[in-house]
Amino acid sequence: MSRCRSLIPTNLISAKGLTQAAVSCFLTSLSLMIPFAISIQIFRELLKPITGSDISWTRLWIYFAVGIAGLLINFLFSRYDYQKTYIFSYTEAKHTRLKVAEQMRKMPMSFFNIKNLNELSENIMDDCTNIETASANILPQLIANLAASLFICIALSFWDWRMALALFIMLPISLLIFWLSRKLQTKLFAKHISSKLEAGKQSQEYFEGIKVIRSSDLDANSLKHLLAAFDAVRRTSIQVELTSGTLLSLSVILLRSGIAIVAYVGIQLLSAGQIDFLLFLTFLLIASRIYGPLLTVLSLLPDLLYLRISTQRLQELMDGEVMGGTQAVTSDDQAISFENVSFAYAQEPVLSNISFVAKKGEITALVGPSGSGKSSIVKLAARFWDVDTGVVRLGQVDVKNVDPEELMRHFAFVFQDVILFNDTIENNIRIGKSDASTDEIRAAAEAAGCSQFINQLPDAYQTMLGENGATLSGGERQRLSIARALLKDAPIVILDEATAALDPENEVYVQRAISKLLAGKTVLVIAHRLRTIVDADHIIVLDEGKIVEEGTSQQLLAKDTLFKRLYQTQQDNCSWRL
Amino acid sequence: MEDKKSKPALSRLFELAASHKVLLLLSGIFATVATIASFIPYLAIYLIIGEIIDVYPEFQNINTQVILSYALLALLAVAADVLFYFLASLSAHLAAFGTTFELKQSFIKHITRIPLGFHLNLGSGRFQKVLKQDLDQMEQFIAHNYPDIVASSVAPLLLFILLFIFDWRFGLAAFIAVVLAFGIQLAAMGASGSELMSKLQKNSADLTASTVEYVRAMPVIKSFGQTARSFRQLADAIHNYSDFMLRYALKWKNSTAAFIALINNIYLFILPVGIYIGRRSTDYRSFLRNFLFYLLFTPAIASILHKFLYVMSSSMRVSGAVQSFDTILALPEFPQHCAHQRISDSSVKFEHVSFSYSKDGPAALSDISFTAPAGKLTAIVGPSGGGKSSIAHLIPRFWDVSKGRILIGDVDVREMTEKELMQQVSFVFQDVYLFNRSIRENICLGSTDVSDAELIAASQAACCHEFISKLPNAYDTVLGESGIHLSGGEAQRLSIARAMIRNTPILVLDEATAFADPENERLIQTGLRSLMEGKTVIVIAHRLSTIKEAEQILVMNEGRLLEAGYHDSLLESGQVYARLWKRYQDSLKWGMRKESFS
Repeated sequence: MSRCRSLIPTNLISAKGLTQAAVSCFLTSLSLMIPFAISIQIFRELLKPITGSDISWTRLWIYFAVGIAGLLINFLFSRYDYQKTYIFSYTEAKHTRLKVAEQMRKMPMSFFNIKNLNELSENIMDDCTNIETASANILPQLIANLAASLFICIALSFWDWRMALALFIMLPISLLIFWLSRKLQTKLFAKHISSKLEAGKQSQEYFEGIKVIRSSDLDANSLKHLLAAFDAVRRTSIQVELTSGTLLSLSVILLRSGIAIVAYVGIQLLSAGQIDFLLFLTFLLIASRIYGPLLTVLSLLPDLLYLRISTQRLQELMDGEVMGGTQAVTSDDQAISFENVSFAYAQEPVLSNISFVAKKGEITALVGPSGSGKSSIVKLAARFWDVDTGVVRLGQVDVKNVDPEELMRHFAFVFQDVILFNDTIENNIRIGKSDASTDEIRAAAEAAGCSQFINQLPDAYQTMLGENGATLSGGERQRLSIARALLKDAPIVILDEATAALDPENEVYVQRAISKLLAGKTVLVIAHRLRTIVDADHIIVLDEGKIVEEGTSQQLLAKDTLFKRLYQTQQDNCSWRL
Repeated sequence: MEDKKSKPALSRLFELAASHKVLLLLSGIFATVATIASFIPYLAIYLIIGEIIDVYPEFQNINTQVILSYALLALLAVAADVLFYFLASLSAHLAAFGTTFELKQSFIKHITRIPLGFHLNLGSGRFQKVLKQDLDQMEQFIAHNYPDIVASSVAPLLLFILLFIFDWRFGLAAFIAVVLAFGIQLAAMGASGSELMSKLQKNSADLTASTVEYVRAMPVIKSFGQTARSFRQLADAIHNYSDFMLRYALKWKNSTAAFIALINNIYLFILPVGIYIGRRSTDYRSFLRNFLFYLLFTPAIASILHKFLYVMSSSMRVSGAVQSFDTILALPEFPQHCAHQRISDSSVKFEHVSFSYSKDGPAALSDISFTAPAGKLTAIVGPSGGGKSSIAHLIPRFWDVSKGRILIGDVDVREMTEKELMQQVSFVFQDVYLFNRSIRENICLGSTDVSDAELIAASQAACCHEFISKLPNAYDTVLGESGIHLSGGEAQRLSIARAMIRNTPILVLDEATAFADPENERLIQTGLRSLMEGKTVIVIAHRLSTIKEAEQILVMNEGRLLEAGYHDSLLESGQVYARLWKRYQDSLKWGMRKESFS
């Protein structure tokens, strides 16, 4: 049994619930022995006439009545068992899902910074469902049936150990086959799962690239890749089926040959006069019935192996490191300071030895070519990741020691990609401050230049946004995100300057809203169009993860600097005509 | 049980699997043989008992040879049962794997032929669901449930036959028990099966949607410190789902328990019959033999019929999968014309084009007419949602127009084959899609006749050659592997190189708004310039300064073409374009500074 436990994700399934479900399952298995016991009594009675004594028909009627009671007991036990199993299964699945959700909440922001977030969440859902199925259909039955077999085996061996041995001798051998082959099966299952993942990746690429594929000669070629992946799935499926099927059939033949072994041993003992006919008959009867539930268990064992491999993603998530920190941000000093910060992402150095201070009430602009480390700096400031070496401080406090949720209270972000919820406009703005009054929300929307387009929507502030606000334009989404930030009124603002230009038709509105947002705050700007930040208090020029220049624009433009070169290139670009 | 709904779905499933008829037929035959074999051990037991009863209680007279041969028969039957069941299952699996492989192929080929608009509308998720879930369920059904269906249909039949071989009265009693057990189960399912099933599907879809939203929105939720709130929302959805599922499952508790109790106690139905017959029998030994046979045999029925339960519930599930598969397959493919059309030049002409994205939806374009002259630049400006993208989408036939027509070189685009059309038009979109393949493949996109010199020339013109040469395997570097990712600006330039290689006379361009750094931006501009040379260009413009010199500027708003003309003449007329231009000029003056904070 302990071996079976190790097959299952023990940190996801509660031992107590499993025990309860297994015990009720076990009781049902035992209660199903009642019909046997009574049948044996019936046999005993029926055999009387041929040994010379008289049969009592009344006694048979009594057995019938007892049998009816047994049927009721069977009914009640299996109903209880059914309830317990399903309650266990769905409670487990519920707890698993809640645990997973809770875990995700604590994962560092970087975890969510991956491309296929939807796929991740769907996979995790699938994993939960698989565990649900396993806990309903496999585990309790597995444990209960093995326990019941063991129990019956022991009970029967008090009666006649030789017959009991004949009945059960093949069980350990059958299980041994599974046990010995588990490495091979695991390997095949892993291969099967990875071929499925590969096919999924290929089809995803095909769907996402369909625009390009259709407008080129790529379709034949892409189709070839995709179909090859499908074919690989088919081939590994056949391999798995052949291997697992053969092994399973072998186990089943061995186990079920017990019926013949019982007959053989029984006849030998019977003709030698060592056992009586009734005992022989009883064992035959049991042999005709006992293997069914065990066979179910046997056929489900490989599923358990498969489950363990397929839920690995979930396991990894649950084992993932969460961000800790308990300290509160105490002082009013809202400056952000970097002290000798270095950071690598997936072994690739991104920032090296960065030191600067972004003061309260000032605009600090980060400038540099793409990949120079601008966005990494703002992400480290807000603790999306933790630094490798050096310290990032908010005021006097090392952000590493602050609870991430508490830290976030001090930040407002306006980034290029705006995430909206499947909720009303009002609630989408309210995320900035959960206890905001309607008036506060309207005021923020007004200030962010949203009120005009909101009022044109059918239900104004109560309009439901579809999935991720698909009906809104880029600029409208952007202004909603600024309204959120205004409502939040956090002391530190982190801004991607390009947001201002996402909707050129309405750029002026967005610009005004941003100006309001920045007033009096500690501001960190990722700058793209340099003319918008020429008046910033502090310009930090980055190149390949290092600070190469620092100062005001006057200081930087006065010398031959990278900033000056970038600035001039951009001026030239502006005069470009299609 | 939802007979009306699930039956057509099941027969549709077997229609889809028709090319594997032989395997399915074999599987059915093997399953039947296995079922028959599974009865034989009981027969052997019966014969053994008969032998023993004949000599009872003088056991030393037992004919051990005969009895051992019966035991051997039982052993062989067990082996045959397992072997044939394995063969049945194997053939069904092969049929299932083959079927889904073919269905995947035809599914992919189908969605390659539907209008691209469906892809933009439905998103890849819907298609992935069909490939990953629906077809998987269909595969599981054919592979696992089909042999069981055959086995559990054959079993009652065999039972019926056995009734008459030995003693029909016992048989009838056993049969009544089986019918009763199934009656209870069917009645319970029939009461509310289909309605509950659709509720169940809705519940599970809701939970999936909530989870996806929870994960997707996590970055913003975290940054607003609202994880507790959104966690509560998801937790509610999880509780709802689990409670519903539990209630759903518990609905069957009585009928399932009754079923299990009944099929394990069939002997109770036989016993009264036995008492009745036994009391009146003249040949007690033969009565005893028959009676014992039925008492021994009936438990076997239980394990076979048990499978039937699973079959019923999974057939409900698979019907949803079949429907979902068929829904996508029912999307109309683009009508394709095969006749070759003579294209006179590379002008693009819209004639009274109206268009809406859905049948009764609002018009995205109403009565648009214009001509983009060959070899010249036409720019489309206007607010988002004004119809700019719709115009761009109609030219390559992502959708077909609702009214009017679009001509390329005086030929209606609907009368061209997809291939011909694609030889005329190429696009450079904002969202560049790069495949996880080599740079070479990404640029050539399947054109096999591109020489290295051409490839390099195109890359040089698109300002890609330099950064490509720095990659570990230059043009053979595989993207996405070992952390090789291109920046936004580099990807844009690569897409320009793609269009260079395609070298079509017409170019539809969505001017990039995503910001590249100044150096990248300059390179993109240089690349675009060489790409556009001598081509008919239709550009969706965002920054008005870039299109000042266009041959024609179209001003769109709310699906209508408001103004058309040169930059200067449009400014002079002082209408919509003039206002847009003024606002654009204002936006250029803005900067972030302390003084502006007010």
